[in-house]
Amino acid sequence: MATREAGKKMIMLKSPDGMEFEVEEAVAMESQTIRKMIEDDCADTAILIPNINSKILSRVIEYCNKHVPTTGATGAAASDTVAPAALAEDLKIWDAEFIKVNRATRFNLIQAASYLNIKGLLDLTSQTTIDTISDNSLEEIRSFLSTKNDYLPEEEQTIRRENQWAFQ
Amino acid sequence: MTSHRRRPLLRSRSSAAPPLDDDDLLSEILLRLPPLPSSLPRASAVCKRWRCLAYNPAFSRRFRLHHRRNPPLLGYFRAGIPKLCFQPTMAAPNRVPPGRLSLKFNSYVRVLGRRHGLVLILEWPQLLVCDPVTGHQHRLAYPPEFDPDNSLINGAVLRSAAGAGDVHFQVVLVGSDYEKKLLACVYSSETGVWGTLISTPIPSGNSLCTRVCWEHAVLVGDSLYWILAGRFTVMRAEGGGLGLLSVSGFTAQIWKRKTDFDGVTSWGMGATVELDKRLSMDSEDYLDIEGYAEDNNLVFLWTGRSLFTVKLEPLQCNKLFDTNNRACYYPFEAVYATGT
Repeated sequence: MATREAGKKMIMLKSPDGMEFEVEEAVAMESQTIRKMIEDDCADTAILIPNINSKILSRVIEYCNKHVPTTGATGAAASDTVAPAALAEDLKIWDAEFIKVNRATRFNLIQAASYLNIKGLLDLTSQTTIDTISDNSLEEIRSFLSTKNDYLPEEEQTIRRENQWAFQ
Repeated sequence: MTSHRRRPLLRSRSSAAPPLDDDDLLSEILLRLPPLPSSLPRASAVCKRWRCLAYNPAFSRRFRLHHRRNPPLLGYFRAGIPKLCFQPTMAAPNRVPPGRLSLKFNSYVRVLGRRHGLVLILEWPQLLVCDPVTGHQHRLAYPPEFDPDNSLINGAVLRSAAGAGDVHFQVVLVGSDYEKKLLACVYSSETGVWGTLISTPIPSGNSLCTRVCWEHAVLVGDSLYWILAGRFTVMRAEGGGLGLLSVSGFTAQIWKRKTDFDGVTSWGMGATVELDKRLSMDSEDYLDIEGYAEDNNLVFLWTGRSLFTVKLEPLQCNKLFDTNNRACYYPFEAVYATGT
C-alpha cells in the first residue's frame, strides 16, 4: 500500500511467496517496468511481482537502494558533496561484492533484472556471466552453463572449419 | 485495503525457464561477449541455438552497437591496384583472414577516411562507403559544388548517432578551391542528399594545398577536426579531448586542449615519450607517422626500417614488420560480427 513515511512516498512490493517489501518510490522506480506503472498511475497500492521469489526480490531491492541517486538530509544531491569519480568507484566496489553469488542466484538475478527492466543490474549480472566463461574452452562453457552440445561430430567439424582462424 | 482501484499486477512471463533457455536473456548475455573477432564464431560452436543467435542479423547489429565505442584494431588496409588489401594485426585466434575484409575495385582508389567500421573511398568519379565486415556498399555522387577532377579534397565517414541504429551514416567532404576558400559538405544516408555547402576563407599564409586535403580527421565528441597546417597530427587526448601529436627525432610529444571555466581554450603540454629504445632505433632512423587508429588511440610509426603500432597513453609498442618502403597504412577498427 502506498504510504508516506518521513516525507518519502513508499511503495509495497509483494513476492509470489507472500513476502511484502516496503520501499521508497524512487528506489522502486529504478525498475523501468515499475516506473511505467507508477507513471501510468496504476501503482498506488501493492504491486505483485510474479516469478521473483522473496530472496531474489530482496537482493534486487538492495541493488536499487544502492544505485538510486541519493539525496542528503538537506536535499542536496550526494554527488554535490562527493566527487562523481569517487562515487562511481565506490559503486563499482559495491557491485563486485554484490555479485559474489552462486550461479543459480546470478541466473535468477538476470531474469529479475530483465523482467523488471533494471539496466545496470542486467549489465552487471550478464557481464559477470560472460567474464566467467569467455576464456574457457567450448567444453567448459557447455559444462558451466549446463548447455547440451546438440551437434553431430561432423557438424561441429564443419562449423569449426568455416572459421578455422577463430579456433587457433 | 480500502482502495477500489484495480490492483496492479505485473504480467507473468509465460515461462520461468532458466535464463539460458530464454532467447531474449541468452542474447542479453552473449551481447556482452568481448568485441573480438573470434567471440561469435566460437559461441556459434557451443550448440545450435547459440549458432542461430550468433548468425541472426538483428543480434549482429545489436552486438556492433553495444561495442561501438570500443572496437578492436583488426588490422590495416594497404592500397594496391586495384584493391585494398587487408592485413590482420591481432594475435590468434582473432586474426581475421585477409580475404574476409579485402576490397576489390575496377580502378585505382583513394581511401579518404575510416571510422565506425566503415571505409570512405574515392573511386573516381564517385564516392563509395564500404562496410568490409558485412560487404555492404553505398555509392554516392559528389556534391555539385565539388569538382571531382580537383584532387584537393578529403573526407570522413561516421555512423549516425546510436538512436538511428547502425544503419545510417554521414559523409563529410572537405576541400579547398581556387578562391582560397575551405569547403565542407555533409551527406546523410538517412535523407540521401548533401546538405548546404559551408565555406570559410583559408587563413592567410596557408596554401591551397592545406593539410586538410590529405591528413586524416579525428572525431572528438560531436566534432571532426583536421589539421590545417603545421607539424602536428590531430589525435584524441587521454580522457577523450582533442590532442595533438608531434614527432621529432626519437621523441613523440603530446599536447592537450584545455578549456577553463570561462570557456577559454588553451593548449597544454602532455606526455613526452622517448621512443628510441622502445623501437630499437639507431642513429640513422627517424620517426614518421603513417596512420592513426582513433578508437584505440594508437599511431602507426615507421622508423625507416620497421613499422610499429604505438599506443602513447599508456605507452605500448608493437612491431608489425620490417620494411624499407614508406607506404600509406589505413588502420581498420571494427566489431567483427558474423551475421550480416
